[in-house]
Amino acid sequence: MTRLLMNLRSYTVPYAFLSVLAVLAAFPLFWIVLSSIKSTPELANDPLSLWPSQPTLDHYRRVLFELGALTNLGNSLVISLSTTLLTIAISAPAAYGIVRFYPRVGQRLTQLLISTYMFPPILLAVPYTIIMISLGLSNTYFGLVLAYLSFSIPYAVWMLTAFYQTVPLEIEEAAYVDGAGRFRTFLSVASPIVLPGLVATAIYTFINAFNEFLFALLFINTSERMPIAVALYSLGGSEVLDWGAMMAASVVVVVPSIVFFLFIQKYIAAGLAEGSVK
Amino acid sequence: MQLRSHTTAGLWFVLPAMLVVVALLLYPVLSSIFFSFTNRNLLKTVYAFVGAQNFLSVLNSRDFWNAFFTSIKWTAGSVLGQLVVGLLAALALERVPRFSGLYRTLLVIPWAFPAIVIAFSWRWILNDVYGFLPNLLSAFRITNGNVSFLADPQLVFAVALAINIWFGAPLFMINILAALKTVPRDQYEAAMIDGANLGQRFWYITVPHVRRVIGLLLILRTIWVFNNFELLFLITGGGPAGLTTTLPIHAYRTGWGLRQLGMASAITVLLLIFLLVAAALAFKLVSRWERTPAR
Amino acid sequence: MSLRAYRPLTALALGAGLALSTFASGALAQDDLSGDLVFWSSFTQGPRAEYMQRMADKFTAVHPNVKISIETFSWNEFNTKWTTGLAAGQVPDISTALPNQVVEMIDVGALVPVDDVIDAIGRDRFAASALLEGQKDGNSYSLPVYSHAQVMWYRKDLLDAKGLAVPTTWAELRDAAIALNDPPNVYGLSVPLGTNDFMGTRYLNYYVQSAGSALIDASGRADLTSPAAIEGINFWVDLYKQVSPQGSINYNVLDQATLFYQGKTAFDFNSGFHIGGVAANTPDLLDDFAAAPLPRLKAGDPIYGGETANIALVAWAVGKHQAAAKAFLESLYEDADYIEFIHSVPGGMLPALSDISQQPAYQDNDLLKQFASSVAVIEQVIPLGSAIGMEDGPKIQAGIITSQAVIEQMFQDIILNGTPVETAAQAAEDKLNELFVAAGAVFTD
Repeated sequence: MTRLLMNLRSYTVPYAFLSVLAVLAAFPLFWIVLSSIKSTPELANDPLSLWPSQPTLDHYRRVLFELGALTNLGNSLVISLSTTLLTIAISAPAAYGIVRFYPRVGQRLTQLLISTYMFPPILLAVPYTIIMISLGLSNTYFGLVLAYLSFSIPYAVWMLTAFYQTVPLEIEEAAYVDGAGRFRTFLSVASPIVLPGLVATAIYTFINAFNEFLFALLFINTSERMPIAVALYSLGGSEVLDWGAMMAASVVVVVPSIVFFLFIQKYIAAGLAEGSVK
Repeated sequence: MQLRSHTTAGLWFVLPAMLVVVALLLYPVLSSIFFSFTNRNLLKTVYAFVGAQNFLSVLNSRDFWNAFFTSIKWTAGSVLGQLVVGLLAALALERVPRFSGLYRTLLVIPWAFPAIVIAFSWRWILNDVYGFLPNLLSAFRITNGNVSFLADPQLVFAVALAINIWFGAPLFMINILAALKTVPRDQYEAAMIDGANLGQRFWYITVPHVRRVIGLLLILRTIWVFNNFELLFLITGGGPAGLTTTLPIHAYRTGWGLRQLGMASAITVLLLIFLLVAAALAFKLVSRWERTPAR
Repeated sequence: MSLRAYRPLTALALGAGLALSTFASGALAQDDLSGDLVFWSSFTQGPRAEYMQRMADKFTAVHPNVKISIETFSWNEFNTKWTTGLAAGQVPDISTALPNQVVEMIDVGALVPVDDVIDAIGRDRFAASALLEGQKDGNSYSLPVYSHAQVMWYRKDLLDAKGLAVPTTWAELRDAAIALNDPPNVYGLSVPLGTNDFMGTRYLNYYVQSAGSALIDASGRADLTSPAAIEGINFWVDLYKQVSPQGSINYNVLDQATLFYQGKTAFDFNSGFHIGGVAANTPDLLDDFAAAPLPRLKAGDPIYGGETANIALVAWAVGKHQAAAKAFLESLYEDADYIEFIHSVPGGMLPALSDISQQPAYQDNDLLKQFASSVAVIEQVIPLGSAIGMEDGPKIQAGIITSQAVIEQMFQDIILNGTPVETAAQAAEDKLNELFVAAGAVFTD
């Protein structure tokens, strides 16, 4: 018993530190959930209450049903899923191709792709708008997804290159000897090996597309097609400032994000650990 | 090697990605560089060449340099803060025997917040009339009345920085944690036998391993923070009195507020040049890290 | 956010349109209106949004070949939308617009004249000053759809408790605000100076107007250094320090208004929208507040028009179906429907057609009755005022002075950086003049 206590003492500093950080990290989430069920007068007059005196689901009702947040959430899902699927479909072959066929170019190419990150999205916006109009893609999900590919593909290619490098050549050679073509090898031999990496990349892409704000604000004009992040912003600009509704809407946006994040964060850690061993 | 000789097949693999990069990145970048030499107005389709005039005005404008230095302060402060907090958290998680999973789960939460929710949540918590924090400090007599965190010129930058660190530290924490797991335990044991203390073990074993892995992450994060428009804009709008106006916000105001697209393009071209130079230097450093074996 | 009823009704309208168009066109020779119209509306939620959708459906029922899609965004977003849209060639057929935005749109040739619609409705039914705001070279480019004016709102209960009279001059306002200031329960008044809105400009304008002056002088130049302007700046800076919550340095109109709705400020400045705002937020307060005309410079000065806003409807030049667009605009002014529209924000939206306010159907509304005297104050000042900077008619400068946050930044500079008032005002004035010139304004000396 004393030994356990003695051991625990040497851990108090890290435990204390982690506890403080955990409170700081989780408090905003706790607070917005709490605020979203407080009635409007209570929000204005009782800022410190830790539990609502009369909990209400009115804000949620308003946000989900009167203001159509469910529709917007659905839009976000569609856009993010499409972006993820397209990104993986384009980036995985590209990463594999770099690793197998252009190994010397591989290093340089990665740096080049990273430098594409340097250009601020705000200025890409106007040329993008012009392209989309001329192709008839404005206010469409497809146009927005295309814009998203501009930042998701470079990153996905970079991430996946590291993973594909871990696939041992011998396995591929064996498949080749057995008569599998290049693409078959990529699809059925190499890719299953790097599946955790693929999943990690897909999740990362999904989250970035889900949370993206600027392009969605500029390229989607109809309030019914807006993804949830932009819909939330327009709530802040509406006729009456309703903090209760804003809190409920925030919760609606962030909770799926968090749940998804947590569910797969072990994938991310695992995937990154594998990929980091070059 | 048989596989490598078929480079034409390889082309098919990389072609779609290359097309995307050319169409969606090269054209807009060139387009913006082109416009930076014109007086293009957001609303009017007629424009004229003005040579280097935009660049001269921009470089002579006090607002530009203020925004530039604010961007530097913002990026350096944020990335450093995120790195330090993430590192300490990862080390602590690595050390504690129980509940590390629970802590890790809680600490990752900020990463999942989209910028607009970060802005709404924190603006609500910090609101000087209805917010939790000012009222709490005031109720406990720690402050005299409600402090306005986002309106007080002494506080607003530090507060915004703290929020950005809150948001970004989990990313570093997770990556460093993964890197820490790659350090062979026996190296630590061997070092302890040799008499190395905690600090020396950290510097000579932990750091080189972690450095290799997160070098590129640091560069990416720095670029991302430097270029990021949404977070600061949604929290403070760049104010008050321009105290939190970074270069992207300044470019946005110029192009979309003042409608001077040519001038805004010039600002971002300068931003781009700065980043390219800085990134080139950083890459040299990182590749030196990667080439140094971690013993 | 999305309009719930939108999709099924559009499907219905579309279905009706398709069904009817399969008949020989000769059978419906009367109706030659056709086209897909896009209507950008800033009425994003509640009764006004529903009203617009109903009117669109009603129109389509009568003109089956016309389909109207309504896209909504708040006023802030609207600015981004139309400026990017124009650059990319994507703008609507018709939209709502604020008078300052209309000036910019006219300046870049984005709109078509709507004189035909005005005449069809009855030109003399509109207030001449409202029409003037959208006129250039003898053509009218905007249709006023409702009006409001800025007045001073005060808390009767708080004044009565301290035995104070309703202030009629700026000095009296200052004294009353200081007397009632009791943070954090109640603030005297809040001085909004956020750069994401033009409240600072609005508040300075009130003061300057009370002195018989203006923020844009007769030659078209910005004038922030006149004695009236300097006095006004000092007045608001002083009140900010004395009675305003510190955070108001970042406030936009919503932050500002919400404080009043929730009973946290004793005085506020706004239009009749406050009536609906309080009704929605804190109905208990409905009996405790009322409107008075804006404070004057000296006791006994006449009542003046501080700022009148005539919200407009406009038709865009790029639209391909002008006839249908204009017909729809006209349909919005039919008496019974129009009254219903105006009733959606009673007291806040006042009719643009002068004869409407006499009609019993209009007067039959509870909130209007309860606040009859406050609404009378507003009605009194509407014809006296104009949009900021448009005292002599529409000017591109008016759009710039309210969209570039130059005055708000000046206030922030004075308060936070301690810059002397005259220096900051001169710098702001110079900056505004530069912007005016860059936008193509011509100064008439």
